[in-house]
Amino acid sequence: MNLGESIWVAWDSIRANMLRSILTTLGIMIGITAVIAVVAVGQGGQKSIMKEMEKFGSNLFQIMVDWRRDELPTGREFTMEDIDIIKANVPEVQYLLPCANSYSNVKGGNKVKTAQVLGTEADYAHLHPLEITAGRFLTNSDCQGRRRVAVIDEEMAQELFPRTSALGKRIMLGNQTLVICGLVKAESSPFSMGIKYVYIPTRVWLDIYPDGNIAYIEGGTRNPEEVKVAMQNSIKILEKRHRSEGLYQGFDMEQQIQAVNKVTGVMTLVIGIIAGFSLLVGGIGVMNIMLVSVTERTREIGLRMALGARRRDILIQFLIEAIVLCLLGGIIGMALGIGGAFLISALAKWPPLVSWTTVLLAFTFSAAIGIIFGILPANQAANLDPIEALRRD
Amino acid sequence: MIKMEQINKIYRPHSNPVHALQDVSLHIKTGDFVAIMGPSGSGKSTLMNLMGCLDTPNSGTYWLGGVEVSSLNSDQLATVRNRKIGFVFQNYNLLPRMTALRNVELPMLYAGVEKEERKARALDCIGRVGMLDRIHHRPSELSGGQCQRIAIARALVNNPNIILADEPTGNLDSVTSLEIMNIFQSLHRENTTIVLVTHEADIAAFARRILHFRDGKLIKDELLNPLLTEPSTAKGGEHI
Repeated sequence: MNLGESIWVAWDSIRANMLRSILTTLGIMIGITAVIAVVAVGQGGQKSIMKEMEKFGSNLFQIMVDWRRDELPTGREFTMEDIDIIKANVPEVQYLLPCANSYSNVKGGNKVKTAQVLGTEADYAHLHPLEITAGRFLTNSDCQGRRRVAVIDEEMAQELFPRTSALGKRIMLGNQTLVICGLVKAESSPFSMGIKYVYIPTRVWLDIYPDGNIAYIEGGTRNPEEVKVAMQNSIKILEKRHRSEGLYQGFDMEQQIQAVNKVTGVMTLVIGIIAGFSLLVGGIGVMNIMLVSVTERTREIGLRMALGARRRDILIQFLIEAIVLCLLGGIIGMALGIGGAFLISALAKWPPLVSWTTVLLAFTFSAAIGIIFGILPANQAANLDPIEALRRD
Repeated sequence: MIKMEQINKIYRPHSNPVHALQDVSLHIKTGDFVAIMGPSGSGKSTLMNLMGCLDTPNSGTYWLGGVEVSSLNSDQLATVRNRKIGFVFQNYNLLPRMTALRNVELPMLYAGVEKEERKARALDCIGRVGMLDRIHHRPSELSGGQCQRIAIARALVNNPNIILADEPTGNLDSVTSLEIMNIFQSLHRENTTIVLVTHEADIAAFARRILHFRDGKLIKDELLNPLLTEPSTAKGGEHI
């Protein structure tokens, strides 16, 4: 008997007991639904996190104080001179800038708002995906010349100057007055959580917040391969200049991506184990009903044997029936899972990702369950004695 | 066609043995129409199982269409059943979910016959039993006699060497039984070899020859209806 005929026969007998078949395959269905939905949502989430991270660029690195030393920073770990010297001596470093920040009051247009005030350099625009919507970003001459200028994000601008353009208006930071020279679109990422930003030259920032310090430095290379070398050489220069070995540590995007992957890996493992148990239980259900089916159809098996079916033919027939039953559950589960994934992500507001691998895996997995749990009943059917089987009522 | 020599069949040979067949030898020629009669426990069912290659004897040889089949393995026996034997059962044994046509096609599925030819041959055999107007009916929509006709068509479809019919009229009324026996007789006229098991003398009377069994032994080989078709020879150690 060829495969097409076997599948037809299997489908026929499943259809004859449709309710029973659906109930039997429910375990498989729920298992596959869970796997598909969770994996789709998980992968969608992972992808959107990755996309955010890639926005910052895989050619970026950060150098900060190694907090594992259990010593409070003195505030003198990074200086403006460090930046210039590293830039001059490490050819791999294309951009390098200090990052100083302070969450503080911003006065402007008779209002007081709070924002993250970043002391930074012109290079910032090269390392971060900023969209300038009006005016310009900080320039090198702004920074070198300690000009009292600021770039603010549009949200901030809207809040301080709701009726007019913020460009050219003045804001007060501490006791200093700055002129707004540019507007940028608010940086959006899953981590930004609606914080508003004000960007000013680092030297100006240090004037405004004399107790503040440069928290870390941020750099970029021309291509991702140079990140490690650039980071290591920069740290070497810092250690030499500050005479403190082991004071600094470097981070690059690769490490962060690995950290995310580790988290999602654990999540996938946990879900995999749960789904595995669900599918195991489902498989036992299928095995059980297949054993019932063999008993019910003993006469049919005997007849088929009398008409010329070999043991192999009977084995394959029941095996295919178990596989078709599991695939039925698998396909329904897949549809429900994909639907569920879209539903969940509509609520969670990130796109689900149903990859072909997932679908193929679910398909293969349900078929494998059919084979594993179908083999015992199928073998029992194939080993029936045709005379005994024909005599059975 | 069928040649059995010194066939012995013993059930439970080690504990409480039952000697179901003892030294049975017989010979059935191509085109013959043989009835096997005997009371229950006479060994006629065992003989049918052996003839049908559903079982193997403990000793003796069984030649079917030129092949010694008593020592074949289960797969080889399945192939012999498929190609050389057509079964007709008392309770028809049609698969309830399949149409008459698909039931008749079933033996050809295991013979690996192509789809087109399967249908053509099935229709031909259904025509021979006069059921062409019922091919898309399921067994539950057919009468007992109609079911048995379909079963006969199924038995014919692989052009077997012999038709083995086990009480084919056991579930039918006398009028329908007569119709079924007429079909067997017309098949016999077309030179089909038929072996029929029955305990009813008036059914056995349709055959050309009756083999009587008792206590696992062939006790009488009776030739009737000599005019029906050509002669046959019976070779039996016990026959009279």
